[in-house]
This record gives sequence, C-alpha cells and structure tokens, in this order.
Amino acid sequence: MGKKVLVVDDDPDVRLFSVTVLEEHGYTPLEASNGEEGLKMIKEQKPDLIILDVLMPRQSGIRLYRDLKTDKSLKNVKVIILSGIAKKTFLRSQKALTEFGGKEVPEPEIYLEKPVEPDELAGAIKKYLG
Amino acid sequence: MTKIMDIKKLLFVTKFEELGFDALQSLLSLRKVSLSHVVFVNVIERDRVAMHRGSGYLKEEEIRLRETANIRFIDWAEDLFELGMEVGVYIVVGSMVSEVIKAAQKEDADLIVIGRPHKGVLEHLYSGSDVTELLRRTATPVLVYKQLTETTISIEKPFEKPLLAIDWSPASLRAVEYLKVLKDIISEIHLIHVVSEKELKGNSAMEVQSLRKKTRKKLDDICDIFENGGIRADAHVYIGNAEQEIEKAAREHQASMIVLGSSGKTAWVERWLGSTPQSIAEDSIYPTLLIPFEKG
Repeated sequence: MGKKVLVVDDDPDVRLFSVTVLEEHGYTPLEASNGEEGLKMIKEQKPDLIILDVLMPRQSGIRLYRDLKTDKSLKNVKVIILSGIAKKTFLRSQKALTEFGGKEVPEPEIYLEKPVEPDELAGAIKKYLG
Repeated sequence: MTKIMDIKKLLFVTKFEELGFDALQSLLSLRKVSLSHVVFVNVIERDRVAMHRGSGYLKEEEIRLRETANIRFIDWAEDLFELGMEVGVYIVVGSMVSEVIKAAQKEDADLIVIGRPHKGVLEHLYSGSDVTELLRRTATPVLVYKQLTETTISIEKPFEKPLLAIDWSPASLRAVEYLKVLKDIISEIHLIHVVSEKELKGNSAMEVQSLRKKTRKKLDDICDIFENGGIRADAHVYIGNAEQEIEKAAREHQASMIVLGSSGKTAWVERWLGSTPQSIAEDSIYPTLLIPFEKG
C-alpha cells in the first residue's frame, strides 16, 4: 500500500482531481471536506502528507494548519497548501493570530495557488514523499 | 438552561446585488465584543439552473454562478483572514431559506445577516418572503440589513444606537438579553413600547395617564438592566399604529437599527393578518434585528 495522503477540501471537484493525481502516482488518498473532519482523520489515520485547502466551512485551513503546527504529536506532519487564497494572506493571517496571543507557526514549505496542473501537484507531493 | 447570547459567529447571506462587503465591514465592530468567525452563504436558486424547459439542467450555468460567487468570497475572505478572523463559505444550489437554515445549524451561528427582500405584494401574500419564512423556522436571530444606497440614514455603525421595541413577549425580552452583552459597541439604547389606540378607547384621561405611567415603569425596569450593564438607556411610550410609531421613534431618536422580538404567530396568521416585526424588516429604512422566540 502506498503512503497515505489526506486531501482536505470542501470542493468535491478539487478532491476528485487530487485523488486522481494521487492514485496515478501510487499513493493512498484519504478525503475530508472541512478542517474539523480533517483534524479528526489526521488523528485517526496518521497520514504521511496533507493537501490542505484554506477557505472551507466549519474550520478553515488556516486554523487547521495552526492546530497541527502547535500540537507536539502532529507538528511534523507534512502539509501542502492548495488554495485560491493568496499565500500572502495566509501568512498575514498567521501573523495576526500570533499577535493575538497564539504561538508562532512555521511557514508552509509548499504553497500552491489554485488552479494547478496535475504535474505541478504530483511534483510537490514527490518532493515530500519521494 | 438558557444559552448565553453572544455573537461569535455570523452567517452572511448574500446574492451580492442586495448585500455587499461594505455591509459586512459595518458589522465588524462586533469584533470588539466577540465576533471572530464569518461564514459566507450564497444560495443559487434551483430555478436559475434547473427549470428551463427543453434544456434540462444547466450545469454550465451552475458552474458559472458558483465560480462568480467563489471569486467574490475569496476576495472578501482574504480581507477577513488578514484581520485574524476565521472565515467559511457555502455556495449551494437549493431553496434559499432551507439552505440558510441548514448552514446556520451546521455552523451553530449566532446571527444570520440577510439583505432586504424584494418581493411584490401578491408574491409576498402567496409565498411569504424569505425573511418571514426564515424567522418562522429558525431560532437564530436575523439581521435584515439595508444597503447604504437605499436609505437616507448613515449606517456605518448599526449597533451604535439601537431602538428596542418591546411588546413584553418572551421574544422581545430575549432581545434584552441579546443586546446587553454588546456594551462595548452600543453607545445608547432607546426602549419603546407602543400602546394601541384600541387599548385607550373609553378610558378617562386619568386612566390613560395611569396606563402610560405603568408602561413607563416597566420600561424603566428594563432600562435599569441595561444601565447596570454599562449601557445608557432611555424609555419612551408611543401611542398608535405599532409599525408607524416604531419607525417614527427610530427617526426621532436617530437610531442606527430597530430591534424587535419576532412573534410566535403561525405562518398563516402572519401572511393574512400581518406581523409588525416582519413588516418593519421588509419596509423600514432601518436595519432590523429580529430575535425569534427560543424554540424547543
């Protein structure tokens, strides 16, 4: 069985796109449609990588990323952000949350703005998982 | 146990033409109280994509409408995220009221913000407006927002000077609980009760004065609740038609918003006999906050 990759996105078309790319490259895809569901699956399934959207119902990717990076047992989980929200906004948001008294979190290493080509996503996944 | 009323999460329901980002920005003063999460909702009415004879389901039109909404919401969300707020979004095809209620329940929203409805008299009579239907079916307070361009008043800070119309119903008393936690954004509040002319018929001058005094005393007791909570409050008794007098009072006291408890009348009674909260929500130039009676 290939390495497990969790796709967290509320858009079923984007999930289908990512799942297809993952399957074509021999990974095992998992799916969640919002941040809350995503966090639950991360704890239960312990994926090797997360492909994370930002703007979602219930809990955004910004909060989920913060939850991951401030949790001792989850902070090393690798994350690729895949979103229509600009990277600049993501970083400013994290900065504002840190200023409100939250912990400082590292920048995501890979931030892809939607839409992406299959090769671009596959390349980013390979960079992390080989 | 009664839930503490706090506005942490609001649902901003828009079709874009009636409610824009300027309206949302005017509500961001709620961040001083507790607002930290905004959820955008755009409902694509089913008949815009599915009811065209001969052409079947208009998938391409649905995609176009979804993406148009998505692009607007991404732009708005970026501004809010950068303030450190949490943002969510629903773009769904379906019936307006059902989808809003579903989203409010999923998100456990504290306030639904919606634009003024635009339905004709006949359409209203037969189908009921979205606001009426929403209030009948939701236990979440609803703010019916009026666009800056369609009013002559400035509503940059809608919560600054609310006028609370009290009819002693459980819903209007629930409105007191809702407003009293907003002391950081309310500069003063005016409380009014409208006595109908019917109630005065046949009474002597002494009886009329006595009724006014009694009503005023009850309003003053509610003023005390606000003042003890740090909000300046004044009481006023008006006489006449409830809708006209509430609108008049809002104007006279330069209110920024009208707040009412919504009645527990059935939908049919409201459709045929009318309801003050719904009429004000739909006709007044003031933003109108409707607090429903707690169901269940």
